[in-house]
Amino acid sequence: MTFFTSWIAAVLLMLTSAAHAQTTPLYQSLGEKPGIAALASDFVDRMKAHPRIGKMFDNIKSSYLKESFTDQFCELSGGPCKYDGETMKNSHAELAIDKAQFNLVVEILQDAMDARGIPFTAQNRLLAKLAPMHREIITVE
Amino acid sequence: MQCLIPALAASALALCSPWSLADTGKLLLTGGVSSIEGAAGGGLTPWAVVGSNATHREIGISAAFTRVHTQDYGLNVASAVLGIHDRLELSLAQQDFNAGPTAALAAFGVTPGQHLKMDILGAKVRVAGDAVLNSDSWAPQIAVGLQHKRVQAGSMAPVLTSLGAKTTGTDVYASATKLFLAQSLLVNGTLRATKANQNGLLGFGGALGQDKYRLMPEFSVAYLVRKDIAIGAEVRFKPNNLESVGNAVFGANSAALREDNWQDLFIAWAPSKNFSLTLAYVDLGRIAPALVSGRKQTGGYMSAQIAF
Repeated sequence: MTFFTSWIAAVLLMLTSAAHAQTTPLYQSLGEKPGIAALASDFVDRMKAHPRIGKMFDNIKSSYLKESFTDQFCELSGGPCKYDGETMKNSHAELAIDKAQFNLVVEILQDAMDARGIPFTAQNRLLAKLAPMHREIITVE
Repeated sequence: MQCLIPALAASALALCSPWSLADTGKLLLTGGVSSIEGAAGGGLTPWAVVGSNATHREIGISAAFTRVHTQDYGLNVASAVLGIHDRLELSLAQQDFNAGPTAALAAFGVTPGQHLKMDILGAKVRVAGDAVLNSDSWAPQIAVGLQHKRVQAGSMAPVLTSLGAKTTGTDVYASATKLFLAQSLLVNGTLRATKANQNGLLGFGGALGQDKYRLMPEFSVAYLVRKDIAIGAEVRFKPNNLESVGNAVFGANSAALREDNWQDLFIAWAPSKNFSLTLAYVDLGRIAPALVSGRKQTGGYMSAQIAF
């Protein structure tokens, strides 16, 4: 029975630490607008340099991409910004993206967030806002 | 073991062959680890995830070696998984249970140092959902699976027969897995229809009307501490088919062959997409307590997995 008590305690600890992670607003955890702009810049550079997906960005200006991601991450994290670019569906329609490529971009974003020292719990909260976009972005099942 | 060698050889080959060098696309730890019955999941229970690193349009493979050690018993498991398009999982496991205390059954013809070996052939199909990416919804990923098990009890076989336990059985289960990504929390529930005694190592069903399927729930909770580390807890409810016949043989209320639920606390670490290590503290309750003065079995669990 003592084991079962510690089992319950462990579950409660996990639930409370999960709840605790919610207290700092995500926008602040990402370093507000300057932090998000730096993140977006590094993220775009990493994608363009990646051997498997870099080519996809050959015809898009880096500065435009960086600005779009900054606005989008800023708005999604509750910051005072408005993303007014192309819809996710339109911007990815011609790219024939599959799930492996989608997950690869998630990993690149994780690496960029690691590089900026963004706490893991905040990383997951941003990813949770972005992940549902797989429905618009992945066109190859 | 014979059937496992090709599987392990295939994964070794995968290490060197060019097609495997194209990265398969699952996110870290989202393929679960190898459970003791081979299926991808937690340590003691299958999850709705499909094993290996393969996502849509990919085929992947994983192989694991697992050791569980308690006061009186030891279990070694070699297992391999083939993951197809993140849809279908085929798994193979061989359990080798060191039933040392059965030496007490020498009078019944049981050889000292008898091992119980069990082969488990598993299949699992993801039927709905995406445990990871649908983070705006409560809907889990759902899979259904089966595990066909055959135990080779050696000199223990006549004892199992006399208890009314058969040597083969098939478990059928449904699992629902959900990653609450914003909370870094993964939850799994599995409902299993089973006749297995101690997951099948003590046969399937029992005398005195205990030879029927029972529905048993299993739960896992895992918290992602870092991208590469998950800690968690599991509980697996189990049938108790042999207690009646045990009481008939050893005396009413002796609980001589009582079977308890399994529980564990685990930590899984994936330093790369191709390797993970899982450590756990397990509480397996009573296992044939008549042979070990009624002692409960607790101990360590260690599992190493390679995945592609």
